[in-house]
Order: sequence, then C-alpha cells, then structure tokens
Amino acid sequence: MTHERVAVVGIGQTKHKKRRDDLSIAGLVREAAQRALDDARMTWSDIDAVVIGKAPDIFEGVMKPELYLSDALGGAGKPVFRVHTAGSVGGSTAIVASHLISSRVHKRVLAVAWEKQSEGNAQFGLGGGKSGSIGAGGAFAPWIRAYIQKSGAPEHIGWQVAVKDRQNALRNQYAHLQLKDISIDKVRESPMMWDPLHFLESCPSSDGAGAIVLTDEAGGDAAAADGRAPAWILGTSMRSEPSSFNGRDPIRPQAGIDCAWDVYRQAGITDPRRQIDVAELYVPFSWYEPMWLEGHDIAPVGEGWKMVDRGETAFDGDFPVNPSGGVLSSNPIGASGMLRFLEAALQVRGAAGEHQVDGAKVALAQAYGAAAQYFAMWAVGADKP
Amino acid sequence: MTVSTQTVSTIQFPYKRTLGPVMGRFFSELTARRIVGIRSGERVIVPPMEYDPETGNELAHDFVEVGPAGTVRSWTWVAEPIESHPLDRPFAFVLVRLDGADTDLVHVLDAGSEDAVHTGMRVAPRWRDEPVGRIDDIVCFVPGEHADSPEGEPGEAQDVTTMEYFSKITYTDVLSPTLVRYANNLRAGRLTGQRCPQCNRVFLGRGYCSVDAILLGPELDEVLPDRGVVSNYTIITPTPYPGQKETEPFARASVVLEGDEMVIAQQQILDIPVSEIRVGMRVRAEWMPDAERDAAEITSKGWGTVAGFIKGWRHTGEPDEPAEQYMNRVF
Repeated sequence: MTHERVAVVGIGQTKHKKRRDDLSIAGLVREAAQRALDDARMTWSDIDAVVIGKAPDIFEGVMKPELYLSDALGGAGKPVFRVHTAGSVGGSTAIVASHLISSRVHKRVLAVAWEKQSEGNAQFGLGGGKSGSIGAGGAFAPWIRAYIQKSGAPEHIGWQVAVKDRQNALRNQYAHLQLKDISIDKVRESPMMWDPLHFLESCPSSDGAGAIVLTDEAGGDAAAADGRAPAWILGTSMRSEPSSFNGRDPIRPQAGIDCAWDVYRQAGITDPRRQIDVAELYVPFSWYEPMWLEGHDIAPVGEGWKMVDRGETAFDGDFPVNPSGGVLSSNPIGASGMLRFLEAALQVRGAAGEHQVDGAKVALAQAYGAAAQYFAMWAVGADKP
Repeated sequence: MTVSTQTVSTIQFPYKRTLGPVMGRFFSELTARRIVGIRSGERVIVPPMEYDPETGNELAHDFVEVGPAGTVRSWTWVAEPIESHPLDRPFAFVLVRLDGADTDLVHVLDAGSEDAVHTGMRVAPRWRDEPVGRIDDIVCFVPGEHADSPEGEPGEAQDVTTMEYFSKITYTDVLSPTLVRYANNLRAGRLTGQRCPQCNRVFLGRGYCSVDAILLGPELDEVLPDRGVVSNYTIITPTPYPGQKETEPFARASVVLEGDEMVIAQQQILDIPVSEIRVGMRVRAEWMPDAERDAAEITSKGWGTVAGFIKGWRHTGEPDEPAEQYMNRVF
C-alpha cells in the first residue's frame, strides 16, 4: 500500500430536530464537533485541518458559511476547506478529509457537515426561489414509479422500508423522528405527497450536524492501544454523471455502479452481499432502499425489493440497512451523508449502542445527491487493512 | 423582434435565524439600550461570541456591559447610499471600539459630511424609539460622547431568541449565443436542438454535448417535432412557503419528443384532470400566442426550458404508446 492508512477515531452528532431553536448555526456545528473531539480525546489545537460540508447556501441564506464558521471550528491559522456535492456532500466531506491524510498532507483532520433547515425552506431553495417547486420528492417520484413498474415490486415494499427505518430510529437517541406507533397502515394512510410517494415514505426536514475526526495509521494504533477501537477506512470513492442525456438509466445510474465497485475493489470485496455486514444507504424516500441495493450490486437487478420483503434488511436481518434510522428519520440535508458515514464507523467500532448490529466488521456507507448524479461511498472495517 | 441577450432575476426569502444563548443575550440587551460583550481571557469581544476565535475554545457566559460611547478606529464614506444601506443619506461605515471593548464593532455613522469624520473621533449610539432586538436598534452612531436616546427610561430587556433576515438578490444572467438562437427559434414557434456528431444525441439549448463534452455549433441545429409522448410525471401536493402560489395538487410531466430525441421535463398537461395523466400518452405542444412569448425564463443553466413559449401539452387523442418503453426518461 502506497498511501497512508486512515482511521476514524472520533465521532459526534447533534440531536437532530425539526428546529434546534436553542442553537445558532455555529453552536450547532460545534455541538457535533466537540462531541467528536471528546470521543477522540482531542482538543481543537490537536486538529491540523478542517473540512466543512453543507448543501446549497440558499437553504439558510448564509453565503459561504465556511468563512463565518472557520473560527467556530478552531480553524484560525489552519487550512479550512468547503465541500459541496448536493445531497452527497456529507459523504464527500468525510472522503476529502480522509484524502488529506491518505496523501500524507495532514495527520489529524476534522470533518463537519451540517444543515439548519429551519432557518429557511428547502422546497423554496430546490425550486430556485420560484413558485411551484417540485422539491426532491417530486423529482424522484417518476423514477420510483419507473422502478416499481420495471421490477414488478408490490407497493407494500415502500411502506415496509418506511416502517423499518422509523423503528430503527427508536434505538437511536440522536434521530429526529421518534414515531413509536409507526405502522404499515399509518404509512399507507398518510397523505399522498408526490404520487406514488406518501408523506410517511418521505424524509423529514431537520436541523443537525455530524462530525468525524480522522487520523493517520499511528493515530489509529494509538486509539486502539488505549482501548478505543478505531474504524479503518477500507476504500473511498466519488463518482458523478450528467443529469440529463438520452440513454441515461436514472434508476440504476452508471456513476453509482462505478462508485460502488471502486470501493469494493479497494476493500477487496468481490461479493458485497456476503462480505458487507451492515450498510447505511442514503434513502430519503423509502423506495430508494431497494433501488440502491440494486444500484450498487448488493442485490441482482430486479431483486432488491425481495431482500426488503424477506426482512433481510431489517435490524435483525442478515444484511441490515440503516440501523441508525437513516435519512427517513433525520434529514439535516448537508449532514445526512455524513450521518451515514459516521454510523458505518460506529458500527465497526462496536460503539453504536442500542442500534449496534452484532458482529459488524465491515460496513458500507453511501450518499447521493442532485438528480441521483453525485455519489460518495466508503467502506470501513474493524480490522486494519 | 429578437430576444434580449440578458435575463434579470430576483430571488428573495425571509430567513429566520436562531441566535443561540450568546448572540441572543446581545440582542436581548439591545432592547434595554445596553450593549454587552463577552470576556475571553484578558479581552472583551463585542459583539460577544460563543467561542474564542483564536482557539475555538468555548467561552463561559461572562457578559460585560460596554460603551455606549466609543472611538472610531477606521471608516469609509458612502456618498451615494443604495436601497439596502441602513441610512438614506450619505454616511460612513465605521469600526467603533466601544469603551471597555477590545474588538471593533461594524456600524454606521451619521456625521453629515465626509469632512466631519476622522479616525479617533468620539461617537455614541442613536437608539431606535421602539427597540426590537436587532442590530439596527442602534439606528446609527453620531458624533459626541452622549447617546441619543428617546424620552424616558428603557424597559426591561426582552428575551430575543430569533432574528428575521430578509435576503434579496437581483442578478443578471448573460445568455450564450446558443441560448439566444434557441430562444429566437422558440419565439418563431420552432423547437430546436443540436445533434452531437460523436454520440448522435440531441441537446436543447446547451451548445455542448453533456456526454462527450464537445461544443455543438449552430451548424448542428435541427428543428425538432413539437409532438411527443408523456414518459413520466409527478403529482405534487404543494407545501406553503414565501412566494409559493400553488395551493392545489398539480402535475408536472416529462415529454419525450417524437423520434425519441430528447426529454423536456416539468411540463404541464393541459385540459385534463391530473388524475388522468398517464405514461405513454401522446401529446402536442400548445404554443403561447405570439404576443405573449417571453424569454424571461431562459437562463444559462443548460436545461433547455420551453417556459414562456410553450404553455403546455395537449393530448392528441391518438392511442397511447407502451408505457414501459418511456418510463425511464424523466430529465
């Protein structure tokens, strides 16, 4: 291996809520970052560089917030970077941070991603500030319809994912939605928001932040020697493709396939279904769980929904997906990708508490953005590669 | 008549900030005509911050009243105020070191003329009559040692936790020659695109191939049919937000132009209830009347919109095409 091995040694996140009316934007990112530093047994001065990610600035109306936040994140006198890849940005932010270490530019990097949706309105932002925004749900609903039609999946698959992720969220104290009485009936009977998507098959709007402290191999070894298991990064990848061209497959975009196989190759994974113990996939609308199972070759084409139907992606299934509760339970947009990435690391560290999947040694995290055209993925493991 | 080569857009939104415990305290104190900073080591920072900006370390909530008078540390004269400026007459932006503070506050100074402003001059706030807990509770600073306050004693400090922030930006989008040609063709009732010589795909109003990343010049223009097939659609339940005009569920459809060349997304289907829209439906463009055609929606974002020229699409009455052949085509 010619590059530096990278370890996740600190993880933090906020309690995600519809409106964190107790915190400023700086306070929000600091809540997550301070928890990650505490988890890593570090202070601000131990950090070499800070990488900040969030979705479009129009969501809060703060232009270039990384400038305003650099001192809030202990960045004075240090390199500070901003990453922006739409909904996948939380994942891309963690990956950029890991590259600063794998390339041996820095030894200890803090990655932070956030969104404070309550300060603005995402429908307004996604609609370019105009009336009649179709929002993310309206944009993805046609592809979901196409997936359902093409795969022949029964409609209860979407309801089942919606229930499963909300039940998982009940195990996660940080998750926004805590729907104790969630049921198939409740999902089915919830209002139709973007036909064929019901309200309860859609993600909430959340305020929240996630943070990860990454180190070089020596940092990972030191954490391990101190009895704090690190998560070792086994592979990272980002891929994108144009949103619109004749012949594009929006249900199973080529960029998503390429991104997954790039990670699998680095991680030595040839059979993802067998070799990955748990996955955190970006599922803002319930149908995206089976779509990404197929879109990342975890299930054969047309078979993703059957994994859901058989309960294999449930918390106690043999391929648990989104034990954290996923984007369906917490959606601070810019942070949502990072929450997938940090949950994967929590799982292989054995530090996921009530949502810990037994024996998780290899975990996959994925985030996607814009018109399902930006992908960020990493695989992390309990064992040093 | 040809289209303008520029479009002007305005985007605006009333954001709502949560202030948090430290900025919240600062704005709360303003309602009682007091200015506070926070202690950070030996220094007093005004306005207060939640953390030491040098180190990132959290600061204890040790607030210190400062001012109200202070000294101008630097300034710049604004001879011709614009609408978004805090004063409607010539003024100075100033950095004021309030008495007892170790940092400078950015504010404005109403001094009458540029000659009256100098670094080192003493200034004091002019308070708003009815404070609301915003930075413009200090309307401006004025020369002298004494605050310019309304009659009577200020009331108790109000608890200020949020701040309305109205954001507005107007920007000019310069259209590329391709877009100007595209829009002029639309004005003449022609839908045009350019065919990539390498991959044979057609793109509307882009001037480049999104797959091969090569320029597509005017010699590659083709007139495309204004008929097609509904390939997919969404029925949207509108959520309210400032500027939202939709109140009832509305549909947006993607139309694949005849010959399977190109998708036009987010189109309206005319004259039928949204519940009757189907994938595979054959449709024809309903053009706007000549006099109403308008290029205001044509921008350089590269999406090939037909808004302002095609009102929507109407069912032709012909039998449907097989849905499964089209459903994948959305953007």
